[in-house]
Amino acid sequence: MMNSLNLSIARKASIKKNLMHYISFLAIFILVLVFTAMDKSFVNQANLKNLLSDTAPLMVMAAGMTFVILLGSIDLSTGAVCSVANVLVVKYIAEFSDKMENVYIAAALAYLIAVAFGLFAGLIIGVLQAKLKLPSFIASLGLMSVWKSVALLITEAPVSIPKKSWGTIGWSRINFGLIGLPLVLALSLIIFYYILQTKTVFGKSVMAIGGNERAARMAGMNINKTKILAFVLNGFCAALGGIFLAAKLKSSAPTVGDSFTLLVIASVALGGTALLGGKGSLLGTILGVFTVSIIRNGMNIVGVDVFWQNIVFGLVVLCAIAITSDRSGRSLVVK
Amino acid sequence: MLEESKMEKKLLFRASNITKVFAGTRALKGVDLDIYEGEVVGLIGENGAGKSTLLKIIIGVQPQTQGEMTMFGKPYEPKTPRDANGAGIGMVFQEQSLIVNLTVGQNIFFGQEKKFRKYGFVNWKKMYKDTETALENVSCSHIPARKKVLDLNFATRQMVEIAKVVNLTRSSGHDHCLILLDEPTSVLNETEVQQLFTEIRKLTAQGHSVVFVSHRLDEILAISDRVYVYKDGENAGNMPTADADEAKLYEMMVGHSTTTEYYKLDQQRKPDPEAVLDIKNLGLHGVFKNVSFKLNKGEILGIVGVVGSGKEDICSVICGDEHPTFGEMYVKGEKRTYFSPAQALSDGVLMIPKERMEEGIVSGLSVNENIAMSNVRLLRSGPFLSSKKMVGQSDEWIKRLRIKTAGKDELLARLSGGNQQKVVFARALCSQSDILILNHPTRGVDVGAKEEIYGLIRDMVKQGKSVILLGDTLDECIGMSNRIIVMCDGLVTGEFDAPVEDKPTQVSVVSLMM
Repeated sequence: MMNSLNLSIARKASIKKNLMHYISFLAIFILVLVFTAMDKSFVNQANLKNLLSDTAPLMVMAAGMTFVILLGSIDLSTGAVCSVANVLVVKYIAEFSDKMENVYIAAALAYLIAVAFGLFAGLIIGVLQAKLKLPSFIASLGLMSVWKSVALLITEAPVSIPKKSWGTIGWSRINFGLIGLPLVLALSLIIFYYILQTKTVFGKSVMAIGGNERAARMAGMNINKTKILAFVLNGFCAALGGIFLAAKLKSSAPTVGDSFTLLVIASVALGGTALLGGKGSLLGTILGVFTVSIIRNGMNIVGVDVFWQNIVFGLVVLCAIAITSDRSGRSLVVK
Repeated sequence: MLEESKMEKKLLFRASNITKVFAGTRALKGVDLDIYEGEVVGLIGENGAGKSTLLKIIIGVQPQTQGEMTMFGKPYEPKTPRDANGAGIGMVFQEQSLIVNLTVGQNIFFGQEKKFRKYGFVNWKKMYKDTETALENVSCSHIPARKKVLDLNFATRQMVEIAKVVNLTRSSGHDHCLILLDEPTSVLNETEVQQLFTEIRKLTAQGHSVVFVSHRLDEILAISDRVYVYKDGENAGNMPTADADEAKLYEMMVGHSTTTEYYKLDQQRKPDPEAVLDIKNLGLHGVFKNVSFKLNKGEILGIVGVVGSGKEDICSVICGDEHPTFGEMYVKGEKRTYFSPAQALSDGVLMIPKERMEEGIVSGLSVNENIAMSNVRLLRSGPFLSSKKMVGQSDEWIKRLRIKTAGKDELLARLSGGNQQKVVFARALCSQSDILILNHPTRGVDVGAKEEIYGLIRDMVKQGKSVILLGDTLDECIGMSNRIIVMCDGLVTGEFDAPVEDKPTQVSVVSLMM
């Protein structure tokens, strides 16, 4: 009798532990049903293709953000970094393709510049947080404002990618059935990050720092290096998101990333990563990203007003955090 | 005579056959506790024996799985600590719950401000007047009601907590109440402990009863009237304190009698002449200065001093947590300055920190991951971690240190204090560090685990590691060390050799500490 009691208690604990994943799966299932019921065209091939290709930039950006949130930090400048990378890519593809013979080399250079910027932006916030001990929330809030303006300053007038360079962004139009190459790349990236999280010194350090930074320091873990690397990886992802969007839109859009910050954080939170850090997984983030994508796409299909969409996303973030946050700790202090 | 006086006393509280099941493990297996009016009951047992669990059940933080409790002879089933207070039971928690930037009065009536409302404002005058009454009720009228808790010493804070709890329980309308004290002395120094004891006796003289939980058997013997011993969640017996002594209680707690080789003196070895750590005129601005000493290979060097003597800060500097302002440090012959514990670790210097919960463990991660924290780098094969190496390491150390856990994937939060400390030790042992700074390694650990930890320390030095030890008690420090450095007010005031046959006396050491 004791044994069966023990078993049922253990089972309850494991169900509770995985509750978030069940909820995510369930949410995706229910959302698909609801949107299909409201509008049949939700499940037609064109829309599914559209939905899946929209998912790619969000997934890329959420991958990087997961590390930052696992640390217990946050980066609100992600969207703005994405915007800057976006306008940089378009600007330099246009500029270099005028000067150079080979449009592919020109485009590669432009991509490199955007990625370099992303790494740089991540490095700045990483150093501000780790070395100067600025709270990442405030540091990134300030940087968000900086990068937003930088994106607008770079774009004196809207630029489009010239026709002769369209071949250089053609990769984003390659499809394997319903799934496009960008989504495949995004999924590969997230799997790669998952391996980083579970199988490397860096990943273990992130989890330990997120769980108890003081203990991680005393145990001789490299705190600053880990934190800065996490922010750099996030900056890289934000820049990649900007490149994905540029390839899709073919023209510069200096505010394209703004709405992404909230969506990215919503995806990570819905994926079950605790905002206080130390708990969560990149695999959960995949589910979170799909949930957010489906809500966004579904609302477009059934014709929800854009302003209302933002209200919904705001509420989704709050709900996701309310469900995932662990309030059982008696020492929990929220400021 | 004794029997007679006990007969006269009225039964205040009774818990019978209490069982508690946590996620499949049985923390309590039917324990009993009787408390009469006006007595101090000592509660002892190893870590994980179930003392804290029982207290939490009594105070209504968590319900029991089976068993009944009565208070004043009536059934008692608290759902929350507030219910418990209403029934006349209050508890002072292990970690202090006072808010230090509020005054004594504000703390005592914290959460009851409504009672003092006058035109929507708080009537402070009345609150402080009531505070004075509340303090008088526990014979502590010397504590100023308007003083901030921040400015009080720990013993006084403890009394404020007790006053708060007594006041809460008294307002329930009962004359006599039951106060539960969970390791109240762990943050107090000797004089403060005596002060607390005096206050406890005053309380019991008024007919209140106190349950006193402590790891220190000498304290239990000094303050309690009766002692209950629990072992592995079961009753191990109870007796009047008059019939008990340390050896007897120890035997009941661990199930075998204490040996004269408590500190394993027969295993104390002579250190090698080679110095692994050489400290010259080290100083930290405003904290300590001109500290010089050498640590030899295979030596246990004890540093003793009162709180604030600078001994802990020296350890922080050596392990890289703090950067020294003056002086030089030579590690294995080479000059070193550390800016982080990570740098120190790469030279084989590691500290086991004092505050286990805050600095030692990551409670949200598994035993496996906690053990690997200091040597993840060594567990790589290629760019990735080898889970085979990691799991192998955990299995080995769980077995070697006899860590009680459901498995290596169990979250550390679910382990008892002593076992958590063993995990921290496992981490230090497999980190391949050979200069270990042990900052209160037996803090909050029960007698049995203590003995195992002493054994571990002896093994460490046998393998040629060197240890700097800040002991939990002076006795421990003298018993374990080869050499002892005494500190006072940031200066080294003395040094003793402590070979097996000629250990310095506590008195001679203490005289240099003050």
